Amino acid sequence: MLLAKNLTKSYKELTALSDVNLSIEKGELYGMLGPNGAGKTTTISILSSLLKPDNGEIFYEGKNLYQNLAECKKLIGVVPQEIALYDDLSATENLKFWGTLYGIKGKNLQKKSDELLEFLGLADRKNHKIKTYSGGMKRRINIAAALLHDPKIVFMDEPTVGIDPQSRNLIFEVIEELHSRGLTMIYTTHYMEEAERLCDRIGIIDEGKIIAEGSLDELKTNSSIKEEIHLKYSNPNKNKLDQLTDRYKGQLLLNEDHLILSSSQANAELPELIQLCSKSELLLDKVDIRSLSLESIFLELTGKSLRD
Amino acid sequence: MFTIALKDIKQYFKDKTAVFLSLLLPIALITIFALMYGGIGKSEKSKAINLLFTDEDKTELSNEVFTTLDAEEGLKLEAKSFAEAESLIKKGKRTAVLVLYKGFQDSVEAGNKIPMELFYDEAKEIEMGLLQQALWSNLFGITMQKGIKGKVNTWIKEKNPDLSNSEIEDIQSQVAEQFDGFSNSNEQSEIEENSELPMTALVGEKKDGNLGLVQAIAGIAIMMLLFSVSASGASLLKEKEDGTFRRLLIAPVRPSGILYGKMLSTLFMAVLQLTVMFLYSWLVLGLDIFINLPALILMILCAAIACSSFGIFMASICKSRKQVESLSTLIILVISAIGGSMMPLFFMPAIMKKLAVVSVNYWAMEGFFDIFWRQLPLIDILPKMLILLGIGAVLTIISVISFKRNLLKMV
Ligand SMILES: Nc1ncnc2c1ncn2[C@@H]1O[C@H](COP(=O)(O)OP(=O)(O)O)[C@@H](O)[C@H]1O
Ligand SMILES: [Mg+2]
Repeated sequence: MLLAKNLTKSYKELTALSDVNLSIEKGELYGMLGPNGAGKTTTISILSSLLKPDNGEIFYEGKNLYQNLAECKKLIGVVPQEIALYDDLSATENLKFWGTLYGIKGKNLQKKSDELLEFLGLADRKNHKIKTYSGGMKRRINIAAALLHDPKIVFMDEPTVGIDPQSRNLIFEVIEELHSRGLTMIYTTHYMEEAERLCDRIGIIDEGKIIAEGSLDELKTNSSIKEEIHLKYSNPNKNKLDQLTDRYKGQLLLNEDHLILSSSQANAELPELIQLCSKSELLLDKVDIRSLSLESIFLELTGKSLRD
Repeated sequence: MFTIALKDIKQYFKDKTAVFLSLLLPIALITIFALMYGGIGKSEKSKAINLLFTDEDKTELSNEVFTTLDAEEGLKLEAKSFAEAESLIKKGKRTAVLVLYKGFQDSVEAGNKIPMELFYDEAKEIEMGLLQQALWSNLFGITMQKGIKGKVNTWIKEKNPDLSNSEIEDIQSQVAEQFDGFSNSNEQSEIEENSELPMTALVGEKKDGNLGLVQAIAGIAIMMLLFSVSASGASLLKEKEDGTFRRLLIAPVRPSGILYGKMLSTLFMAVLQLTVMFLYSWLVLGLDIFINLPALILMILCAAIACSSFGIFMASICKSRKQVESLSTLIILVISAIGGSMMPLFFMPAIMKKLAVVSVNYWAMEGFFDIFWRQLPLIDILPKMLILLGIGAVLTIISVISFKRNLLKMV
């Protein structure tokens, strides 16, 4: 469906993408997981012809994007990271406008937009101005505008940013439904839970490079770490944590009230960890050992946390 | 392109504030200014008007006219030969010259038609209004008084040929005391007729176009139009800031189509706004828009093209909406001031009049003056239309180039 070879893009000094290769199968839901500034949006922009890469080639169904621009554009639907809609127009008016740009007309356009609004649970508010919508509703209509012309592949750039868990679940359901209908999608996010829940295959991207790729299971199998130790604690003394961080460089995620240690052998490492914790004057509330998450894999690969 | 333009127009009508600002506000301003310019002749007394004075009679009476008029508060007289006076007026440096021909005193005293004439510059209608008022009251005062005296004189002499001059004067002063300035007589109207001041326009021809009204309408309409087109241009940058611009570029639309769509909708709104302004002026302010309807329609179109290209131009050279708003407000105020939108150009010094040609307001207003006031045929207004179209073309070309260079890069 989509083949991208050696995509490279720099903004002056900064290399936003270097040598990115993607191969997306028909019907696949591909997740692109990476922290802010990793190059997710840049990748989407290049794939959707908005940005020209400095280097590299892109093919949709075997056709070169730049040599078949008009044709390829119709195959692509993009849900931008921002709510790219006219907020002084209603949902219907927005959809009709964007549909018309793709050459959909009259009755067909009306039917399509009604169907989509129904599908996304926006039918009862379809004639209200977008600016009166809640964040979650705006996100959904933002998705609808990308689906109107029946694209063959849809790019969703962090479509759940800044909304409540309930709206997020609604969007997950929509995406899962689209996936089950066989739509090819690339989904970018910096939430590992989203990638874990939704995606068939995940590419982990950092500093413009895809540093690991595969299904969740493949990523886990290929990783040298097998488990995570989760430690909940109270009243940490920030000045006394040096011992811990020194000992577990690149393995440890420290938060306000808990830490996560990636480990290849949790049982063996636990006693030493607990000892160090008491030396650091941490009052432990709860300890458990969990199976590996993408968060730890990312930590292992980059030495950084996904969220900052 | 049309889809984008239609969408913009829809958005425009949804925004009640924008509609209000672009239609009702100019209407209000035009009305205020029309009233102001209309009433100016009655209230303005502050500035003395220079009146040239050519005395070919050189008598006691002509001298008296000079001193009386000069003593008048609103008038300042300058004695000049007719040739000098004529050239000063033609150059636009003075408003008018009052000429008293040879035989002025004799005719006044004999009660005959008075040989005097006023030559003036029709472009200075407002000053002429003031001038006429001052002249009427004073000039009539003198000629009436003398004229009546003359008439009575002649009459007494006819009836009593043997009376001496001193006796006649004696009788006269008694009569004058008795009647205290003859009212209600046939003679008065005859004298009035004789005192009629023939007026000849040296510049422009006498027509009843309403200069103040046209100034108010054209001046305000163009200035307000510039404001609303730059708001419309700014919406292009709003699209960029909101991300809808990226979405437009992803859709199968040619990038230039986005710009042309924006131009089209801006042009539509500009034409709409000007049309509403002139319809209002016709219905409420009594402007005769049918005087040269084809020319008016063409002028509206040309002015709209020039102005809307200004809006697009501002959008394409600026980096953000804020920048468009502040920069265009500044530019609009400046070009409106020098172009004569705010104050009639003939109030301004010559240097300002020369400067005015850089302003789109100037050409548009001149065009409307040509239609409504100079009442020129279409063919003579064409050059101004072409200049407006030229301004539009130049700004559009720059816009297209910088749109391609800047906006597309900044996605
Ligand atoms: N227009 C631009 N000019 C300069 N740098 C940019 C531009 N857009 C993005 N970048 C930089 O490129 C990198 C990748 O950005 P982006 O693709 O938006 O990341 P993500 O979407 O993963 O958060 C970031 O470091 C960002 O600062
Ligand atoms: Mg992004």
